[in-house]
Amino acid sequence: MTRFLSRRLVELVVVFLGVTFIVYAMVFTLPGDPIAALGGDRPLPENVVAQLRAEYHLDLPLWQQYLHYLGGVLTGDLGTTFTGRPVSEAMASRWPVTITLALSAWALEMIVGVLLGLAAGLRRGSILDRGVLLGTVLATSIPVFVLGVSAQLVFGLELGWFPIAGTSEGWPASYVLPAAIVALYGLSSVSRLMRGSVADTMRSDFVRTLVAKGMPRHDIVGVHVMRNSAAPVLTFLAIELGYLLGGTVVIEGIFNLPGIGQLLFESIRTHEGPTVVGVTTALIVVFLVTSVLVDVLSSLIDPRIRHE
Amino acid sequence: MRTRRTRLATITIATALTLSACGSTDSGETGSAETAAPEDGGGSFSMAVTDPDLLIPGRQSVAFDFAMTVWAPLTFLELDGELTYVQAESVESEDQQTWTVTLRDGWTFHDGSPVTAQDYVDTWNTVAYGPHAFENSGQLAAIQGYDDLNPADGEPTTEEMSGLTVVDDLTFEVELEGPDSQFPLQLSQAQTALYPMPSESLEDLDAYNTHPIGNGPFELVDDYVEDEPFVVTAYGDYAGEAPTTDQITFVPYTDNVTAYTDALAGNVDVASLPTSRMTQAADDFGDQVYAFEAPGISFLGLPLWDERYDDVRVRQAISMAIDRETINDVIYGGQYEPATAFTPAIEPGTPEGICGQYCEYRPDEAAALLEEAGGFEGTMEITYPGGGGLDEFYNAIANNLRQNLGVDAVATPTADWAEFLEARTDEGIDGPFFSRWGALYPSQQATMRELFLATGGCTNCVPSYPEDVAEAIAAADAAPDDGGESYAAVQELIVEDFPSPPLFFETYGYVTSDKVDELVTSPIGNPRLTHIVLAD
Repeated sequence: MTRFLSRRLVELVVVFLGVTFIVYAMVFTLPGDPIAALGGDRPLPENVVAQLRAEYHLDLPLWQQYLHYLGGVLTGDLGTTFTGRPVSEAMASRWPVTITLALSAWALEMIVGVLLGLAAGLRRGSILDRGVLLGTVLATSIPVFVLGVSAQLVFGLELGWFPIAGTSEGWPASYVLPAAIVALYGLSSVSRLMRGSVADTMRSDFVRTLVAKGMPRHDIVGVHVMRNSAAPVLTFLAIELGYLLGGTVVIEGIFNLPGIGQLLFESIRTHEGPTVVGVTTALIVVFLVTSVLVDVLSSLIDPRIRHE
Repeated sequence: MRTRRTRLATITIATALTLSACGSTDSGETGSAETAAPEDGGGSFSMAVTDPDLLIPGRQSVAFDFAMTVWAPLTFLELDGELTYVQAESVESEDQQTWTVTLRDGWTFHDGSPVTAQDYVDTWNTVAYGPHAFENSGQLAAIQGYDDLNPADGEPTTEEMSGLTVVDDLTFEVELEGPDSQFPLQLSQAQTALYPMPSESLEDLDAYNTHPIGNGPFELVDDYVEDEPFVVTAYGDYAGEAPTTDQITFVPYTDNVTAYTDALAGNVDVASLPTSRMTQAADDFGDQVYAFEAPGISFLGLPLWDERYDDVRVRQAISMAIDRETINDVIYGGQYEPATAFTPAIEPGTPEGICGQYCEYRPDEAAALLEEAGGFEGTMEITYPGGGGLDEFYNAIANNLRQNLGVDAVATPTADWAEFLEARTDEGIDGPFFSRWGALYPSQQATMRELFLATGGCTNCVPSYPEDVAEAIAAADAAPDDGGESYAAVQELIVEDFPSPPLFFETYGYVTSDKVDELVTSPIGNPRLTHIVLAD
């Protein structure tokens, strides 16, 4: 296990260096001068532009800019936004929102998805099975902004059940609607995966043995089938959590949730290299950590993986 | 007043907006759900804003509404065009070049310290000081010594502008680079770089940005935290006209369409009207929609560096081929006004109609005129910044040009504002382009200087800087203020040259919840929050 973990950690450092450089280079090559565009259609005085450009090292060639950035990162300084705010601070204030949203959506997705998949897998070909398939695929095929804005108008404006936007009412009120919409998009995958996995397990020899042994059906399903079907779904859910933590830009925008996705979107729009790289790197780390966790978890759940 | 930056902030979901149109309701059915109860008689309300990040008036670009409540300007331009004095008692000059500003006695900052001439001079020096890189420092560029604080190369050798002199506690003198009759107007409400900051707070500008202390009718309650609502309350010792309410909450929104919907539900009381909602606002909000005439004007920029646009008749033909009325009705819900001059109509003395037939929709004459000029070769590609909801607008113009002039016109967005700006300033585009200017004080001078002087710097405008126009503007600056007549005369020269077709006199649109009885404005197009009338 130690060797396994240390190998993953070395990988992590390599990925970190590679990703930060690639992202930095990409922001660097975006057309247009971010500082000149800072003032919108009200241009900044030339010397202000020059001053700011020097302050953010934008007057240097790419590799020097990147070294400046890397040097900062190593000393714990992620740089500042164009308004002079430390990137780490900007991220810190936004993580709670994104984490709350992501975990709420993830929990919904997991609970509802696993239950639907289980029900469908146990009754393959039934109306329920087809209904789940049709419903989840239909939901996935509607663009997220249509669903978001419609939900806002129906549940927020017409019915008044939930706030339309903002985080002022806290969890759960402010997060239910956006989380439900985000979760809806993962449902089809989770439920399909679970259905297939359950169906396979139900056909396996050991289940037949258990049935022959006279074990009650709810014990077979609840203990043995669930555990044996969980691995693929778990892997998917872990990766999904990584995605969700990456921020659901559109939903955060529609529901005015100042999360990490919004920050990334805004900083790409304004070509703020340090912010884009900072957020992206944080997301990569989240992704890498979740994938390591998945590996560990899967091997705990399914001993066969450990021995491979 | 709202810059492209704010408008671009709305991006992403322009398409979503049309789709949800079917779900909207009558504002009559939805009551004002929340917002804090008034503390005493005055009442309170909330306004949706873009998260400002920068609150220092010399740096802010999207915090005008906040700034205009927390600071009091030296002068104020009223809706009827009259200039009144707020923090200043008088602003006088004999030669239009040396101005004496006298402050009112007894005015204080929110920390209780008196507002003095020294505060003004220190603030202006701080704002103008090059190494500080204050975004709005250009508003002080006409003062003598500004260039010393902003040398082309290296660090400035002084920290003070030679043109500023403190005479006594309440009086200071301003020496300008040249005579300028519009100086008192330049001290008015939207020129926020000229707002005073207490001298002692200039030591720590970061702290000041977190908690600005102004001289205005409202004071900030708690420290400003990014992305969170911030509250201002009436300042008890304010020496000027008391505001109509006690408290304003500014709520940051990342998407102004969301703010619009929230206003519909009564969760926020004042919100700006997104372009994508202009056509349905009247259905949604009834008479709670406001289109405030603003000192903004849009043009169809023309690439004068491309010889195909050399002939003035080509430019006139393009102008006459654009159906401004229909575009305004269909895309902007009739909120704008087709332009008939080269400066916004709200700027005093603007010679409305000077553009004449060239700003009218005359497709047949346009085609004939283009024919006479020798036609047009090749593609006419209209470039505009993408992601800002401008697609419909420029597609409509391309359609007009294609149908009426028979030219191969297409509208192409850039990825974002930065890319557009670079393409435009590098003259990397060879077709018409996005062009507009929103002035910060309503004088024809404010618009013309930016558009027609090489030093002006409207980077998205047409680079047409004829010498006779520059001379005429300088002459108008030097003449005593005559209500804009001398500037109107300059437009005679411009219309002959016809550098680019004026499109619309802009309005800034707002919607309010039922809590607001009347939203009032001033000639800069923003709501005058200190004078809002709340419903009982």
